[in-house]
Amino acid sequence: MGTISIEHGDHLYWLGRYTERSFTTLKVLHKIFDRMIDEDHCYTEYLSCFGLSDIYEDNNDFIRHFLYDKNNPNSLAFSLERAYDNGIVLREEISTEALSFLQMAKDTLKKSEKMQNPRLSLISLEDNIYGFWGCIYEYIYDAEIKNIIKCGKSLERLDLYLRLDYPYRSIRKAYSRLTRNLESIPENTPYRYNSKFLDEISNAVESADKYDKYSSEALTALEHIFDRPEVSA
Amino acid sequence: MSGIKVEQFTQAVGNADEINELLRRYGVKFGIYKNGVFKEQFFPFDPIPRVINAEDFKSIEKGLVQRVDALNRFLFDIYHEKNIVKDGIVPEDFIYISSGYLAQCEGISPAKGIYSHISGIDLVQGKDGEWYILEDNLRIPSGASYPLIARELTRIACPDVFAENNVTDNRNYADLLKETMENVNCGGIRAILTPGRYNAAYFEHSYLAEHTGSVLVQNDELFVEDNILYHRTYSGGKTRIGVLYRRIADEYLDPLTFLPESLIGIPNLMEAYRAGNVAIINAPGNGVADDKGIYYFVPKMIEYYLGEKPILKNAPTYLPFYEEDRKYVLENIGKLVIKDVAEAGGYGVVFGSDLSDEKLEEFRQTIIAEPRRFIAQEVIDFLDLPILEGGETVMRKADLRAFVLSGKETKVWASGLTRFSRNPDSFVVNSSQGGGFKDTWVLSR
Repeated sequence: MGTISIEHGDHLYWLGRYTERSFTTLKVLHKIFDRMIDEDHCYTEYLSCFGLSDIYEDNNDFIRHFLYDKNNPNSLAFSLERAYDNGIVLREEISTEALSFLQMAKDTLKKSEKMQNPRLSLISLEDNIYGFWGCIYEYIYDAEIKNIIKCGKSLERLDLYLRLDYPYRSIRKAYSRLTRNLESIPENTPYRYNSKFLDEISNAVESADKYDKYSSEALTALEHIFDRPEVSA
Repeated sequence: MSGIKVEQFTQAVGNADEINELLRRYGVKFGIYKNGVFKEQFFPFDPIPRVINAEDFKSIEKGLVQRVDALNRFLFDIYHEKNIVKDGIVPEDFIYISSGYLAQCEGISPAKGIYSHISGIDLVQGKDGEWYILEDNLRIPSGASYPLIARELTRIACPDVFAENNVTDNRNYADLLKETMENVNCGGIRAILTPGRYNAAYFEHSYLAEHTGSVLVQNDELFVEDNILYHRTYSGGKTRIGVLYRRIADEYLDPLTFLPESLIGIPNLMEAYRAGNVAIINAPGNGVADDKGIYYFVPKMIEYYLGEKPILKNAPTYLPFYEEDRKYVLENIGKLVIKDVAEAGGYGVVFGSDLSDEKLEEFRQTIIAEPRRFIAQEVIDFLDLPILEGGETVMRKADLRAFVLSGKETKVWASGLTRFSRNPDSFVVNSSQGGGFKDTWVLSR
């Protein structure tokens, strides 16, 4: 690994997580925007996935809080800020180019707040995130740096897909991607997986039937995936 | 404007918004604390460059190399033999009571005898065309990254402007810096030490790390073992650091040598440095040479160490420490600019013409009570530069920070940071006080 410190390893991992959280949140909000055309309070199902109750006046109030409220940990603005916070201390690892796409994503979101139809400009925001990932693949030559970011990204995706009750097909894809990335992390490093918990996840998502029954167990195992294995006396 | 007219920058002026948009995209910011709250601000960029013709630059370059070489000789002398004091050229009062003098650095010989590897020398051009040195910054001068990235982006936004003019390419700064670091590398990787994201110049720290291929580090990633500085790695290992470009002040560098309360330093760093196992850029203790009081003596240093006449002039300066100068300052305070030697960043600078009679009298008494604390300078009527404001071209005060890098040879970067005041009545150009910046062109012929 050479010269990556523990602190930078941590930032790389959370950069991956928060960028993915921004992306999936954006995708879900796109769908909610679409449903908003036909129904009011169409987001309650989404809120319940996170154990949140509907305290919002109407669709617009919900959108305001979940797109732009930097103090709401479930908002797109919050996730983008955290992605940027982690990215800004990694310029020499991820490149100024990659960072510029996070800056543009923040700027695009800010501009969209003043637009009559923010949904249109959110398409550019999606492009910004794709641009960011393009830079990660293009500019980072150190495979291990890239792998930590990808680990964070794929773990966040599986976590969100499980919470949002995504179809089994998507879960399998997200799981396969995560295991591929986890396998690339060397032994005895902070993001090396704990095989006990990976087995539990594997078991829970083995089939569509099992997934229906054990998705919450998979989520719990995911939380412990980097726990150090217990050493027997 | 060296024969070049503002009209020639039509493309740059027309694309000013695009250039600023690109600067924004690339996060060209500086941090500022207002009422204790950290804020990041975009550094306003003006698209009309300062132009220095080839002949002028040659002379400036020669003068800067001469000055920085003398300052390096001075620093070595002060921390070793002190011949310049013994020979009565610089009074010892100006050495030992300077806050930049560090007794802990006595006798330490930095790698290859270089103290100031990166010097930021502030100059202004008078209306008579003459360049004057305003200040030497030898501790941790910042600002090179801004014109560096600005050039990259203006070349994208205004290719014709560059195609039509013979502008020396300034995008070699990172290479120069890398060479300078490697010249003193004691064996190991290159690292840039930052106090962290909330430092005013964090953009620069991270940008230079990226472009020199150095590792950007904070103190908690580093440790000293057996007088060797190491970077603690992710996999539980350690990597030796051979050269540390630190962007934190001397007194915070090592809590076991300087301020014990420093939370951003590295314990025992000075021991590793003293043992010659790591080079620190710039060397600790340089503050004694860029003290505003010492500035007065730099022309004398050039003659003393190099046996040459100074090529670049100081702004006419008076030291109230000397009776004759004090008399002049007290009599002429209303037309002078008074600088508190302990302050930096544009603070502690007072124009006598701005003070009421009552305040002037108060100031006279302070100078009498603490003559060593101040220097006084004639106000140079410096050349205004055109800047774009609200679609109009207006004239504003501007200075130039030239960067001099001391490696195998002493080299002047063919560019620099031109900062301007946005306030029509102000001479203060610092970014922390609302100033902007522009590109500095050095013409190749």
